[in-house]
Amino acid sequence: MADSASFGIPALDKAIMDGVPKGYTILCIGTPGAGVELFAKRFASAGAENETVRYFSTSERDEDVLDTMKDFGWSTDLKIVNIGTMYYEKVLARHLDVSKYRLEGLTMRDLRQFEAEEYPEDEYVANFLTTLTYEVSKLTPPFRIVLDSLNFFLEYYPYNEVLSALRTVKAHTQHNEGVALVTLVKGVLDSRTESGIEEIVDVIIELERLRDGFEFKRNLLIRKVRNHPEKTGILAYTIDEKGISAKGV
Amino acid sequence: MPPDDEGAEVDDLERARCPTGIEGLDNILNGGIPRGNTILFTGSCGTGKTTLSLEFLVHGALAGENCLFVSVTEASEKLMRNVIPYDFFDENLIKKGKLVFVDMPVIYRRLGMTAMELTLEDVETLVKALGDLVDELSIKRLVIDSVTSVCYRLKTEEKIRNFILKVGKTLSDRGCTSLLISEISPSAERYSLYGVEEAIADGIVLMGNLERRGDLLRTLQVVKMRGTNHSRAKYVLDLTPAGILLVPLLKGGSGGGT
Repeated sequence: MADSASFGIPALDKAIMDGVPKGYTILCIGTPGAGVELFAKRFASAGAENETVRYFSTSERDEDVLDTMKDFGWSTDLKIVNIGTMYYEKVLARHLDVSKYRLEGLTMRDLRQFEAEEYPEDEYVANFLTTLTYEVSKLTPPFRIVLDSLNFFLEYYPYNEVLSALRTVKAHTQHNEGVALVTLVKGVLDSRTESGIEEIVDVIIELERLRDGFEFKRNLLIRKVRNHPEKTGILAYTIDEKGISAKGV
Repeated sequence: MPPDDEGAEVDDLERARCPTGIEGLDNILNGGIPRGNTILFTGSCGTGKTTLSLEFLVHGALAGENCLFVSVTEASEKLMRNVIPYDFFDENLIKKGKLVFVDMPVIYRRLGMTAMELTLEDVETLVKALGDLVDELSIKRLVIDSVTSVCYRLKTEEKIRNFILKVGKTLSDRGCTSLLISEISPSAERYSLYGVEEAIADGIVLMGNLERRGDLLRTLQVVKMRGTNHSRAKYVLDLTPAGILLVPLLKGGSGGGT
């Protein structure tokens, strides 16, 4: 087993320690449009050959995730845990149901049908943070976790509970020498929240997209590498039909 | 028999009655509850409130009226088992839909009322849902057991008042005679837990326990009933397989004779 896990972007691997050291948790942060989701998919695919990969999606359908990977010719030998779909089925779809009954009225048939379905009370308060940590706890090495994105959890759960779940993911990754990557949309959360997350993770990669005349200039900022501040730096990256590539600036 | 409400209009005295089917109670009420009234049946636990309300519905169903029992605290399946042993009960009443049981928690969940405290909008929605069911099933008698448990989730006096007023009007407008079961502690000095329910209801029937010569008697007293003259005397209530029997409480006597 190699001591580090590839990002799937050679220049980035080289810039850190031939990839990310086993046991590390990475935060990939960026503004919308910077390519954070694509970065997460590249990272997941890069581990598909030799590692068990769990891809936690909160906003895309399974087929969207897989189609994107196929489009770039990346491996799709991984398992997706679709928290977004679960949330839709267990919470949002029922909210839609409820709004219908509240506006159109209830009939006995509605009630009898609902009784027959026997929804457990707790499904209404299904805790997807628990789903996340439970799924992670089942992983044995070598494994790779990708969570896209933390924003979903921060939107629905208290900050301290999300941080606690992130610590659990990190601890499992660390003790079992797996690797984990979580994504975060920059500029949505307050600085205290972002700092709390940044303090927990071992590596921080920020994707920055700047306007330069009539085109965008993309920078990949290696903002933190635990115990290796000398590894921090800036790469330029491009996104084309072949995927993501980077080079030193 | 002293009149309950001296302001009662003569016209009201002639209002159509909804016989409870409990002979003693119908005698006290001069034929039954005035149709469309919303009555608070109040008492501490074990005083026979649920049994009496079930009997009220069963007699209504036997007389051809559609009846609805809305159970808030107990699973309706369990309640149904309680009513089966009665001599006068006919299971076909349930099979034919003359007597319908609904669990309020199912209504809560179906309407997305999962928070512990309901909002004013929830109150409107809940009352509308009850009205819809009454319309759909052509319900003429309805019991909510207990209204105290609903009020517990309303919290504020404003919302409780809103709920009782609206539920009373909604049911009354549909010609539905309703019993709201209210739970109070044995030492309570009022007829309802929140005090609002008793002020708004058309009638109050107080049920209690009375210890006499080592025996714990169940008692019933009609405290208030708009639209009819009635006795305000205290009666002893006996639960028998043939149904509820009421006899006057004999002052100084055993009071338990049936």
